[in-house]
Amino acid sequence: MPNRSTARAVVLGFVAWAVVFALALQMGAIPDADLQIVTQIRLPRALLASFVGMGLAVSGAALQALFTNPLCEPYTLGVSSGAALGAVIGTTLRLDWIVSGIAGTAFVGALLFAGILYLVSLHSGRGNMILLLAGVLLGFVGSSLVALWMAFSDASGVQGAMFWLMGDLSRARLSGGVFTAGAVLSLTLLIWRRSHELDALLMGEEDAMALGIPVRTARKKLIFLTSLLVGVCVSAAGMIGFIGLVVPHFVRRFAGALHMTLLPLAALWGAVVLTAADAIGRTVGGAQELPVGVITALVGAPVFLWIMLRKREIA
Amino acid sequence: MSAPMLGVYGVSYRYGERQVLDEVSFELEEGEIHSLFGPNGSGKSTLLKIIAGVIALDAPGSSGQIRHRGTDLLALTPLERARVVAYVGGDLRADFPVTALEAVLLGRICHSGGMFQQFSAQDRQVAREAMERCLCWGLRDRELATLSGGERQLVAVARALAQGSRLLLLDEALSRMDLNHQAQMGAVLKALASEGRAIILVSHDVNLASEWAASGLLLKNGRRLGAGPIRELLTRETIQKLYPGAELVICPHPVSGAPKIFFS
Repeated sequence: MPNRSTARAVVLGFVAWAVVFALALQMGAIPDADLQIVTQIRLPRALLASFVGMGLAVSGAALQALFTNPLCEPYTLGVSSGAALGAVIGTTLRLDWIVSGIAGTAFVGALLFAGILYLVSLHSGRGNMILLLAGVLLGFVGSSLVALWMAFSDASGVQGAMFWLMGDLSRARLSGGVFTAGAVLSLTLLIWRRSHELDALLMGEEDAMALGIPVRTARKKLIFLTSLLVGVCVSAAGMIGFIGLVVPHFVRRFAGALHMTLLPLAALWGAVVLTAADAIGRTVGGAQELPVGVITALVGAPVFLWIMLRKREIA
Repeated sequence: MSAPMLGVYGVSYRYGERQVLDEVSFELEEGEIHSLFGPNGSGKSTLLKIIAGVIALDAPGSSGQIRHRGTDLLALTPLERARVVAYVGGDLRADFPVTALEAVLLGRICHSGGMFQQFSAQDRQVAREAMERCLCWGLRDRELATLSGGERQLVAVARALAQGSRLLLLDEALSRMDLNHQAQMGAVLKALASEGRAIILVSHDVNLASEWAASGLLLKNGRRLGAGPIRELLTRETIQKLYPGAELVICPHPVSGAPKIFFS
């Protein structure tokens, strides 16, 4: 059991988070910012980055286990696109009838896309690439529809679609951030409660059944919770790719494959990685801010390739 | 007389157009090692999966009862059923870096209590004993993907043991082990049976199965051809019915006396 390395990864994670968080408050286009800029702009942003990173990492780990495929995560599966599409439609039609504002329609979009994937998974068998290809396809469709919708409905048109398609934390406000934080934490807790189901599903459907997991109901419940979580993250920060892929794989090296330890550690490191990526995105281009999704994609895509090649080796 | 450890009554299973199993029945007592014999596609693996609850009998054309000491096994929740039946089938593989010990711990899921419960010290102890018994404790920190086929099979049987179930269903569970491991695991299976468990084996290696199993069931095209003690079951006539295309001879093993089959 990787107990000692788990403990190290926890301690290191908290230290890294503190350091990255402090740096994120320091760094920005204005070098010697006054206290107001720090508390009004950078603090909410760093907080949002932390909790969205948490949510994306946890949903990535959950999607990988529940579809028994290590390449799954909200972005590669197109679930994020579904959420973005839902959010965009919700905002322009003023469908904020669900307590959490646009998170409601974002959740519906994410659930719709995840539901389609579930149906595909019933017919695609184990270790099959069909599920992943279906996800990529859904991602394309979702993103295109977001751009299309924005072009016809929003004054800022396609420019505004960038927020959703590339991910952006610049709209962070303290009040909205509190909702995001609460939602991410409680959904993470609800998924964490189902750690054993995720553990068993790593071994595939038949094994999970033989181990005592009611596979179909477990999968449906997990898809529901994960879609909620993705909806929360995307409606707050747009589509940010690869956090959900990179972080769980990185953390498994220290936490092992079992989710009781994996999920909290993934949450912690998700916060570290997205806060760091956003701090880099804000500063690396000088006065021109880069959307955080650009940074995560540049790091994440090679990792995706590496996992894919290794998976082929195993198969 | 009390109800048998396992009762399989009139099990039929249809997959698409094909009747995979047709009214198969047998009973099994504790302490027995039972083997299912039959050519490819005779329904052996399907029967095991049905008993394990991996395949449901809810499709049209499928019916039957599976009883454990009189209680309906198919009516139990998956978690309750996993405490009664442990199933080893297929290859123990994961596309994730799951270690051998983690894989065996998964066998304890059906005993873990609360939602947030970590595997307890007792779970770890049970997992350790199972792995020691199955000669794979030394592999505990290795990832499944780095193990050989035979080593993964040792881990898979250890996981079934860790489940603590009284009934073990082993589908080709020893086929890739080397001679040494096969011999030792054979002894382990016999010991498990003498401790009161019941074991059902499915193996293409008829000679291996006849060495360990005391009784068996012959299946062909999903129908039961015969059942009984191995020595009465594996005869020239029955083998010819099972494998009509092959020229085979049967001789008793020089030491154990169990019937062995060779090409003539």
